[in-house]
Amino acid sequence: MISLIQTLILGVLVGAVYALLASGLTLIFGVMRVINLAHGAFAILAAFLTYTLWSWLGLDPLLSIPIVTVAMFAVGWVVYQLAIRHVRGRHVSMTVLLTFGISLVLEGVMGFVWGNTSHSVRTDYTDASVQLGPFFLPEAQLIVAIVAVVVIGLLYLVLQRTWAGRAIRAASSNESGALLVGVSVSSVAALTFAIGTATLGAGGAMISVIYPFLPGSHDQWIARLLAIVVLGGLGSLPGAIVGALVIGVGEMLATSYIGASWPVAVPFLVIFVVLVLRPQGLMGTRLREDAVA
Amino acid sequence: MSGPAPAAAPDWRGRLTDPVLWRWITRALVLVAAVVLVLFPLSPSISAQNTVILALVFAISASGLNIITGYAGYLSLSQGAFLGIGAYTGAILARANPGVSPFVWAPVAGVVAAVVAALLGLVTYRSRGPSFVIITIAFTLLVQFVARQWTGLTNGSSGITLPLPDWPREWGNWPFHLVLVALLALSLLLSWWIRRTKFGTGLIAIREDEGKAGTIGINAPVYKLLAFGLSALLTGMAGSVYGYYLTFVDPSGMFAILLSVQIVLSVILGGRGTLFGPVLGAFIIQPLNSWANTIGGGGNVRLVLFGGLLVLLVLLLPSGILPSLQALLERIRTRGTVGLSGARLGAVGESPAVTTPRERPAVAAAPLLEVRGLAKSFGGNRAVDDCSFTVPEGSITALIGPNGSGKTTVFNLVSGTMTPDRGEILLGGEAIERLSPWSRAHRGIGRTFQITRLFKEMTVLENVVAPLRDFSPGQLGLGAVSGAEARRAEELLAFVGMSAYRDARAGSLSYGQQKLVELAQVLVLEPRLILLDEPAGGINPTLIERMGELIRELNRQGTTFLLVEHNMPFVLGLCDPIRVLARGAVIAEGGPEQIQHDPLVLDAYLGDDFLLEGESKTGAVPTVKGGRA
Repeated sequence: MISLIQTLILGVLVGAVYALLASGLTLIFGVMRVINLAHGAFAILAAFLTYTLWSWLGLDPLLSIPIVTVAMFAVGWVVYQLAIRHVRGRHVSMTVLLTFGISLVLEGVMGFVWGNTSHSVRTDYTDASVQLGPFFLPEAQLIVAIVAVVVIGLLYLVLQRTWAGRAIRAASSNESGALLVGVSVSSVAALTFAIGTATLGAGGAMISVIYPFLPGSHDQWIARLLAIVVLGGLGSLPGAIVGALVIGVGEMLATSYIGASWPVAVPFLVIFVVLVLRPQGLMGTRLREDAVA
Repeated sequence: MSGPAPAAAPDWRGRLTDPVLWRWITRALVLVAAVVLVLFPLSPSISAQNTVILALVFAISASGLNIITGYAGYLSLSQGAFLGIGAYTGAILARANPGVSPFVWAPVAGVVAAVVAALLGLVTYRSRGPSFVIITIAFTLLVQFVARQWTGLTNGSSGITLPLPDWPREWGNWPFHLVLVALLALSLLLSWWIRRTKFGTGLIAIREDEGKAGTIGINAPVYKLLAFGLSALLTGMAGSVYGYYLTFVDPSGMFAILLSVQIVLSVILGGRGTLFGPVLGAFIIQPLNSWANTIGGGGNVRLVLFGGLLVLLVLLLPSGILPSLQALLERIRTRGTVGLSGARLGAVGESPAVTTPRERPAVAAAPLLEVRGLAKSFGGNRAVDDCSFTVPEGSITALIGPNGSGKTTVFNLVSGTMTPDRGEILLGGEAIERLSPWSRAHRGIGRTFQITRLFKEMTVLENVVAPLRDFSPGQLGLGAVSGAEARRAEELLAFVGMSAYRDARAGSLSYGQQKLVELAQVLVLEPRLILLDEPAGGINPTLIERMGELIRELNRQGTTFLLVEHNMPFVLGLCDPIRVLARGAVIAEGGPEQIQHDPLVLDAYLGDDFLLEGESKTGAVPTVKGGRA
C-alpha cells in the first residue's frame, strides 16, 4: 500500500512537469490547428540552453528560467514568421510534415553544437530527498513540480486576464468571429506560437534537472506530449493537465509493476487507443463537420 | 482561311507545348530510364550499384505509399515500418529454413505487410487528418518497440543475420537488382491500373471530400482497407529483398522513423498522385542520402538534410516536381486563350430516358420516403425535433422553412451523413436510419449539396464516373476512363447539357455549372429518390429554368424528388406537395395553393406580405385578403 501511494505521488509530481510541457502544445493547436511536432525538439533546445548557462556561468537552472523563457519566445516568433505562417490554412498534413521537418533539423543542429551524448545538470538538490512520514519525495522533482504549477498558473492568468489572452481565446474558439471584432488573427497566431514555445523556457529547465537528455530524446518527448494532449483532447488546456497527470501516474505504475522498459510504450499505446476509440479525448469537444458549409 | 489567323508568335509555342509531342517525349524518357535502370549493374562502381539498389527499394515503397497518400490523401509516416515488417518476415523465415533461398519468402513477406497495413487502414475509420498522421508515427515506434521486446521471435535489439547470397560471385548484385526492378515494374503497373478503375476514382473522391464520397455510394472504409493493403504488398516484398541484401535486420535500422520520412519525401518531391513522381523522387533522395552518409558520416548531416528538404518542399514546392512541370506547360499552352467556363450552355438534350424507366404509381401513391419522429441535437440546440413527413412515390416534394429551421439537417439525416438521436427513416418501407451513407446510396437515395461539393481536382467526366451503384469487386475493377461506365457518364452529361466540359477540371466551372454536374453525378446512382439542397440557389434565371426542366423531365421518367428551396415561385411552380418546417418540426403540409394560405406558414416563414409581393412579381399567384396595402 505504501509503495503504491509512493508511486502515485511520484506520478503526480512527474505529471505536473508533463502538464507544463504539454500546455504550450495544446495552446498552439487550439488557436491555429497546427500540431507542432517540433515541440519536443524545442523542449530539448531549452534544456540545452539551460545546460549551457549552468556549465558556463554556474547559473542554477531555476534562476535561468527567465532568460531561457525569453530566448524560447524569440525562437517561437522567428520559426513562426519563417515557416509556420506560410502553411496556415493549408492541409493539416502539410503543417504536420513541416513541423516534423523542423524537429529533424533542430535535432541535427543540436547534435552539431552539443554532441550526441547524454547531458544532465547537477545541482545540490539533485540527489536530495524530503521525507514525509513513510514517503520519500525527491527534492528536485518536488521543486520542479512546484515551479510547473506556478508557471501554468501564470499562463492561465495571462489567458484570462490580459487583452492578448482574450484575443487568443477568441481566435481559438472562432477565427472568423475574432476577425470581425477586430482581432488580427495572424498576429495572435504569431503571439500564441511564441507564448506556447516560451512555456518551454521553464519546461526545458525542468527536463535538464530531472532527466538526462540528448538531441535524439525529442522523439520520446514529443510522443509523450502528443499522448497527453490527445488523451486530454486536442486544444484543451484543462484536458492537457488531466492527461498529463494520467500519463505521469500511468508511466510510474508501468515502471513499478510491469517493467522498466514499458513506460516507453505507454504513450504510443495511449495515442493509438484514444484516437481510435474516442478521438475527441477526455475533455475536447467534437467539431461539427457536416455539410452546412 | 477561316477566322482571323493567330499571330505567328504563338506558333512555335503551340508546337513546343503540343500535348502529343510531350506524350512522346515522356514515353521516350521513360524508355531510356528503364533501359539504363535494368542494365545498371554493368556499371563498374560498386557504390553506385549499391545506391541504385537502395533507390529501387525506396522507389517501390514510395510507389506503394502513393496509393494512400497520393490517391486517397492519407499522409502516412509508417510506410518504412511495412518495409521493416517485410524485412523481418523474410529474415525470420530464412532463419527457420536454412538452405532455402530467402527470395522464396518475398511473397509471404508482402502478404504479412499487407495484412498489417490493412489493419492500420481500419483505424482511419475513426480518425482523419492530423490524428491519422500521429497514429502512423505512434504505429512505427510501437512496431519498433515490439521488435525490441519480442526477443523469441525477433532476437530483440541484437537483430537477425541472414545468410550470404548463395549464387556464384561473378553474378554480383544482378539477382538483387533484377528482382527489385521486377517489383518496381509491378508496383507501377498496379498504380497505373488502380488509377484507371472506378476503385481509383473512388480513392481520389475520398481524398477530395470523404463525406461527399459516402453519399455517392463509395464505401470509404473498404476502399481504404484495400488501398492500405495494396500499398504495403509490394513494399513488404521489397523489404524482404532489402533485408537479404543488407544481410542484417535490427529494430533501430528497420523501424527508424527516418526511413518513413525518406519515403514520404520521395512521394512529395516527385509529385503526389502521379505515376512516375514517387519513383523520380526516390532516385533523387537516395543518392543525396548516400552522399550525406559518406560526407557527414550520416547522423546529424542526414537529419539536417532530410528535415531541411521537408521544410523547403512544404514551403516552396508542395505539389512536387512532375505536377509543377505539368502546370507550367499547361500555363504556357493556354496563355492568351479563353477558358471554357464562360461559354454558353448547350441546349437540353432530347432525352431518351436517362434513368431506368420506372412505373409511375397510381395517384394516391404509397410514400417512397417516410420520416417519423426524427430528432437531432447539437449540444443543447435541437436542430430537428420530432419531425415527421412523407414523400409520395413519383412526386416532387418540397421542404421549405426559414433559415435554421433544420432543413439541411433533415437532409443530412436522410442521406446518412449524420445519424439521428431518435426517430425512423423508411425508404420504400425499409428502415434505413442506421445504415451508412453509401448503403443508402446503393438503395436509391442520391443527394446534392447546398454549396456544391464536386471533387475539384477531377475532371467533369471523372466526377460523373465516380459514384458506385452497388458494392462488388466487379464494380471496383470497372474502367473509369473508358468503356461502358464512361459512355454512361457522357450520356448523363449530355442530358444536363454539359458535354462540352467533360475534360474540364470540375473546380474551374462556374457555380451553376457545378450544380448541373452534381445532378448528373447523382443520376449515375440511378436513384429512386433525389434530394436537392437549394437547386436554384445562387444561379442565374436561365439556369434556374433549365434546372426546373431537368427535374420535371426526370420526374416524368419516374424519379421522385425532395427539394429544399427558398425561391418561392420556383417551388410553387414545380412542387406538389409541400412540407413546411419550422423549429425542427413540420408545421404544415399540402399543395402549393393550400400552403400559401396557411396562416401558420405565413406567420412562420412567408410573412403576411408574401402574397402581395408574389402577385406583383409573377402575376400567377391568386390574391388573398390580409395584405398590407
